[in-house]
Amino acid sequence: MKKDECIRSVREINEKIKCGDAVVLTAEEMIRLAESSGVKAAAEEVDVVTTGTFGAMCSSGVFLNFGHSDPPIKMTECWLNDVPVYKGLAAVDGYLGAAALSETRGFEYGGGHVIEDLVSGKEIELRAESYGTDCYPRRHVETTITIEDLNQAILVNPRNCYQRYNAATNSSNRVLHTYMGTLLPNYGNVMFTGAGQLNPLCKDWNYETIGIGTRIFLGGGVGYVIGEGTQHDPQSGFGTLMIRGDLKRMNSRYLKGASFYKYGVTLYVGIGIPIPIINERVAKTATLRDDEITVEIRDYGVPSRPDRRPVVKRVTYADLRSGKVYINGRKIPSSSLSSYKMAKEISEVLKKWILEGLFLLTEPVESLPRKGSLKPLRVRRREPIVRDLMRREVITAKPNEGVEEAARKLIVKEIDHLPVTTEDGRLVGIVTSWDLARAIAERRQVLSEIMTRRVITAQEDETIDAVAWRMAQHNISGMPVVDEERKVVGIITTDDVSKRLVEGISRR
Amino acid sequence: MRVRLIYSPDVVEKPILAEVISKTGLLINILEAKVDAQKGELVVSIPSSGKKLEEAIAMFRRAGVKVEEIKETLKIDREKCISCGACISPCPTQALQLDSDWTLKYDEEKCVACGTCVHACPFDAITLLEDAGKVEARSS
Repeated sequence: MKKDECIRSVREINEKIKCGDAVVLTAEEMIRLAESSGVKAAAEEVDVVTTGTFGAMCSSGVFLNFGHSDPPIKMTECWLNDVPVYKGLAAVDGYLGAAALSETRGFEYGGGHVIEDLVSGKEIELRAESYGTDCYPRRHVETTITIEDLNQAILVNPRNCYQRYNAATNSSNRVLHTYMGTLLPNYGNVMFTGAGQLNPLCKDWNYETIGIGTRIFLGGGVGYVIGEGTQHDPQSGFGTLMIRGDLKRMNSRYLKGASFYKYGVTLYVGIGIPIPIINERVAKTATLRDDEITVEIRDYGVPSRPDRRPVVKRVTYADLRSGKVYINGRKIPSSSLSSYKMAKEISEVLKKWILEGLFLLTEPVESLPRKGSLKPLRVRRREPIVRDLMRREVITAKPNEGVEEAARKLIVKEIDHLPVTTEDGRLVGIVTSWDLARAIAERRQVLSEIMTRRVITAQEDETIDAVAWRMAQHNISGMPVVDEERKVVGIITTDDVSKRLVEGISRR
Repeated sequence: MRVRLIYSPDVVEKPILAEVISKTGLLINILEAKVDAQKGELVVSIPSSGKKLEEAIAMFRRAGVKVEEIKETLKIDREKCISCGACISPCPTQALQLDSDWTLKYDEEKCVACGTCVHACPFDAITLLEDAGKVEARSS
């Protein structure tokens, strides 16, 4: 039999479900069956494989219709529990995004939490403003609502269910708080996300059964795939889905607001998709195991765009899930941001629904795109870079130079930063006026005794925005600019940056 | 038992821990250490109980080290926790792990009450108990 020859149709599977005869396995059970009996036999025996995933999905949100008050209002601005709702829609329609932050509670509470609170039936504070029109005279409204009061609450998520996701580590010397969680310095840990062998798109790797119109488990209720998600990147194996479902029928066990410390808020979404085993090729991908699904560990210590973060290592979900991976021969702890336990539970609930005849499968109206890849955003306007602002005549010192001599240099040249270099100009340290004041008070003699050896540096082609952020993060007021050989080619200080800012403003 | 040893500036340079280890023969394990010229703070695990443990604690006290027993350190709200794992790899002592059915488990004995997991949790499910480590060890 050919691998793409049809074994059974979705219609045939649905007939079996209605009769209570369908053979339904969770993805974990399917893997075990294939291991014991082989893929071919598993394909013959099994009608449906259920999948699940439960992780942070920032591109999620809900369309709401509040109904009209009397007198009515054309809401131009609106908040739910102080979280702004997008109001570029008709009078009482709005879209609440999961990543929107509360204007009063910041990172603690946001759109994701409001969605969870709505689903739990909690009372929500609604506030809206308007400019008033002949047809909508009201200019302000404040009340409380529950999900019951809304005409519609429809979850429409532009990007969910990433097929895989690259893992994260941190080579820098400070703790990073990211959307991948807490990343400890010096490769202190690895964070990853994704359900791996339970993930819906991994189990239908070639998008043969999942497409527009596919009925799915969504947040404890029923939802539908409405197309490929944003950033869908099928050629690299990073497919995504756009989905919708009735929030009123969902369960807060499978929709949870989350806060990432010093990053922002999001929504954890539970999704399960049934994979009809229509041919042997689908059966084969439905048996993919964690040790066959690879991702890259990327270095978030380098503040560049995601696809340019250096690849530290290529690993499998099995490696990551084992709790340790090896980087440069060192054993590094790894852990997940998404819940495997909940993903597994979702695959089990969906299996139960199908076995009980409560959930029928669908054939896609149209397939997901199998071609296409990601494009970056080109910044066409010229942004100021370090080269534009740095000073090229750098006063430097040598490590064996005396403290007093160095102090005189700072006073005469009216500077605060003194890079310390070798004879051939390579950077080995830095001293500031503060370091020198302390050195003199403590009667130290030579720069090499007092200089900071771990110097935070800039490069000529970096944007001012990036270096200003770095100076703020490290609480410093200047950085030597170095080339690839770590030779000092300039210096940039917060003074240079703020002068530029002032010039920019006065020119306007 | 886990205890926090607090060294004052007067005793911070003395090899007190080494002395206690060599005299009692106990394999005391350092879980966390913050030491500078001004003061020192160690969290150690003393693999003992009863009289021998009391003896070790008394030795530290006689040497001028303050000893605090670390009892309960963290509270995990099981209603909020989804067993994701966001707290696991940031934990410096591997006190948080997943068990065989993928549920988060917590090993009280390994916890040094550093609080890293509190911020790492996306669901605000972990609280550092206020008196974590501040409970004075029972004196002999």
